[in-house]
Amino acid sequence: MSAPFFYALVGIGLFSLGLYGLIVHAHLLRKILALNIMGSGIFLVLVALAKRTGEAPPDAVPHAMVITGVVVAVSATALALTLMLKLTAETGRAELPEKGRE
Amino acid sequence: MEALTLLEWGFDGLLGLGLLWLAWRALTCPELFKAIVLFIAFGLLMALAWVRLDAPDVALAEAAIGAGLTGALLLAAFAKLSLVTGHEELKPARSEKNRIRFQHYWMPATTLLLVTAGLFYVILSLPPYAAGLSVEVASNLDTSGVSNPVTAVLLNFRGYDTLLEMVVLLLALLGVWSLGDTTIHREAAPGLVLDTLARVLVPLLILVAAYLLWVGAHAPGGAFQAGAVLGAAGVLLLLSSWRPHADLIAWPLRLMLVLGPAIFVIMAVLLYLTKGQLLEFPPAQAGILILILEAVATVSIGITLAALFLGGRPRRGKGQA
Amino acid sequence: METVVTEFSWGIALILLPLAGGMICFLWPRRTQILGLVTVFAVALSVGGLAWQMLDKGVYRHAVGGWGAPLGIDLYADGLSLLMLATTALVGFAISVYSAAYFKQEDAIRFWPLWLFLLAALNALFLSGDIFNVYVTFELMGLAAVSLVALAGGRDALGGAMRYLLAALLGSLAYLLGVALLYHGFGTVDIALLSERVEPSPVVWAALGLMGAGLLLKTAVFPLHFWLPPAHASAPAPVSALLSALVVKASFYILLRLWLEVFEPLISSEGVYTLLGLIGAMAVLWGSIQALRQTRLKLLIAYSTVAQIGYLFLAFPLAVAVGSTAWSAVAYLAISHALAKAAMFLAAGNLVRFGGHDRIADLDRVVQRLPLTAAAFALAGVSIMGLPPSGGFIGKWLMLEVALTQGRWDLVVVMLLGGLLAAAYVFKVLGYAFTQAEVAHEPKTVPASMEWAALLLALAAVLMGFLAVPVLSLVDIGDPFGLSEVRP
Repeated sequence: MSAPFFYALVGIGLFSLGLYGLIVHAHLLRKILALNIMGSGIFLVLVALAKRTGEAPPDAVPHAMVITGVVVAVSATALALTLMLKLTAETGRAELPEKGRE
Repeated sequence: MEALTLLEWGFDGLLGLGLLWLAWRALTCPELFKAIVLFIAFGLLMALAWVRLDAPDVALAEAAIGAGLTGALLLAAFAKLSLVTGHEELKPARSEKNRIRFQHYWMPATTLLLVTAGLFYVILSLPPYAAGLSVEVASNLDTSGVSNPVTAVLLNFRGYDTLLEMVVLLLALLGVWSLGDTTIHREAAPGLVLDTLARVLVPLLILVAAYLLWVGAHAPGGAFQAGAVLGAAGVLLLLSSWRPHADLIAWPLRLMLVLGPAIFVIMAVLLYLTKGQLLEFPPAQAGILILILEAVATVSIGITLAALFLGGRPRRGKGQA
Repeated sequence: METVVTEFSWGIALILLPLAGGMICFLWPRRTQILGLVTVFAVALSVGGLAWQMLDKGVYRHAVGGWGAPLGIDLYADGLSLLMLATTALVGFAISVYSAAYFKQEDAIRFWPLWLFLLAALNALFLSGDIFNVYVTFELMGLAAVSLVALAGGRDALGGAMRYLLAALLGSLAYLLGVALLYHGFGTVDIALLSERVEPSPVVWAALGLMGAGLLLKTAVFPLHFWLPPAHASAPAPVSALLSALVVKASFYILLRLWLEVFEPLISSEGVYTLLGLIGAMAVLWGSIQALRQTRLKLLIAYSTVAQIGYLFLAFPLAVAVGSTAWSAVAYLAISHALAKAAMFLAAGNLVRFGGHDRIADLDRVVQRLPLTAAAFALAGVSIMGLPPSGGFIGKWLMLEVALTQGRWDLVVVMLLGGLLAAAYVFKVLGYAFTQAEVAHEPKTVPASMEWAALLLALAAVLMGFLAVPVLSLVDIGDPFGLSEVRP
């Protein structure tokens, strides 16, 4: 197994760890952290497998995709954090409100 | 050469396992503040992984945006959260409702283990050598106007994605602003260390941003990395209680925020009208046009990131004209 | 003049106009309403231009940057995309007119830039020929939609917005991992090229699983629908209309597109579309039953959306043998539902504005006092129930026909039950609308444009019942359903 595949597997591991954290935690800040880790895992898969070019320089398109992804991730994180703060100001707890009348 | 390969393997192994371990600790640490700090450390280790994978552009972007600015946003949010909910977040979670009960986590854990195993198999089934699009990128690099392939892909070949991505960043700010306002009156004066640090670092950061912008055409760097460094300078200023002049927060601020995506759209339309395809750069002028785009993008990205850190639409405080 | 219309690349206008409009509204908040309305009207005209062009020249393809796939990004539109774009423009325009009267100035300043960026994202998605580009449009759409939901403020809206954001991000991430696998497996992210290169392999199966799961979550298909009712019910009325009518259709469109183009070699195996048909059936039944149980009007309408989305998935098992009719039915259902559901939510908004609440039991003689709104709700209900004449009837009739000829009695039963339950919850609302409430309310006036917007959308849903032939011939431009190919 070469370096690209090793890092790609690490990426999958991060994706799963993040997904586990997202499902299991109730606190919104931890959920946001988990989403970021999931994203980082996917980016690792993208960039690691781009290095399968042998002696030639790596494939630049996944690099550009990951840079785009990082910017999108910080945008989403910023919105999520602000929404979380506003929700906490209303309910007093940083968690998704229990579904009331269903 | 054997020793070098063994060293490489040891390094990669440690790095990979370190990433997994840091992520696990960040997700399961009972103290929220520690978890955020572990996440920032995770981000920095990721930057190292990008360098190891020959992705210096991504490493710069990750260190500045992924670890740096995201970490700053998380810490700021945590601080505001502690104010709202009291200081309970600092203590480890002991109450029943915060504990993860065993029956709630064995089912997702086993399902995820199976999914992970499946994905491992899929990854390993991929061919060991694949050029992807590197051949097409290399053969078209000459006519793209820059010699850094990542910049060429970001600003020329797949520039449309970059346009949309800049709008995403602006949109996040619009969303944050629509959620609430924050007054821009001066808070308490910063301490001596922070004040001095800001005075020294901010001009340096602006210089580094300008350098990254310029060098991005032929070496790792570019608009996003430069914009992130500029954003970091903005965050540093905000932390040392600097606030923009009250007159600047109306349309001048909005204009600067919109400048990047707006110039992008205008250039796209002009290129369509003159060349026939949207965003089709003429090879002779491509270099200078891309530099213009990157320059305005850097300014917009930097200000947007700093404004996101502020966390609300800036309003004049009470008692100001 | 003719040549201008047929030569100009209308797809670009569809994306750049709302982007520019959103930015101008942001820069010039005082004039935001008129700027917004002008932009949406211009978008509607551009869809007309695109339709004219496509009737003349066939599919629309534009290589952004001049590079062409696989290096660059292609914009692509066939009949299906055109219909989705037209629905978006029509529903979007009606909702814009409604919103101009609905929002006060301070809320309008926040609403219009967000809505215009959402429109840009929708158009960019329907025109995209590149799966990574679709990911970026999904994020644009998600952030705009979540911000719009949170405009209402208050615990319910903020909680609904937060749940929506988390679900949307999770869906996008699962989708992105699928994109990563497809790129590294086949060396391109262009849909047309992928459809040529893909062959059954573990990579494609994993991509199908990941992207399918992500898109099903975004389309709120049972059992992944948990985020939809809180978000759609607590948002401001025009936003609920936008979400239920347009945004959920976007992820369904991508799922359909990928299914037909990229994952086509996998279709020969039974399991996947049986699964899709099964969750569709459960969505229809579960959503309809839950809708019937609701005491609040907007939650009822939101659960109705969950149910109607289920119908779209019933087509998957049917499409295997008889592709054309089943997919045409899906297109028809999607469009009719968009029109009818938007009308319903706008009508609900009128009722809330009028009485100050949306409790079904306390609807106070609405039929006499807000006749246009009551008519809008009733006509929209006709389409949702699938009664003639309406677009909903045509869609459901086509699907029933296919199911009967294939002997799929299980699906026939589900569809008929769904129709009955829909009739039950529609008539429940209408029944209360005729009667006097126990507690009288101080009625507030509802602007005429709000009532007319709702009514005209509902009439459009009914009108779709008469337009079957022209609409179905439009769908066939570019042969999106691959019907002329010979399947081995």
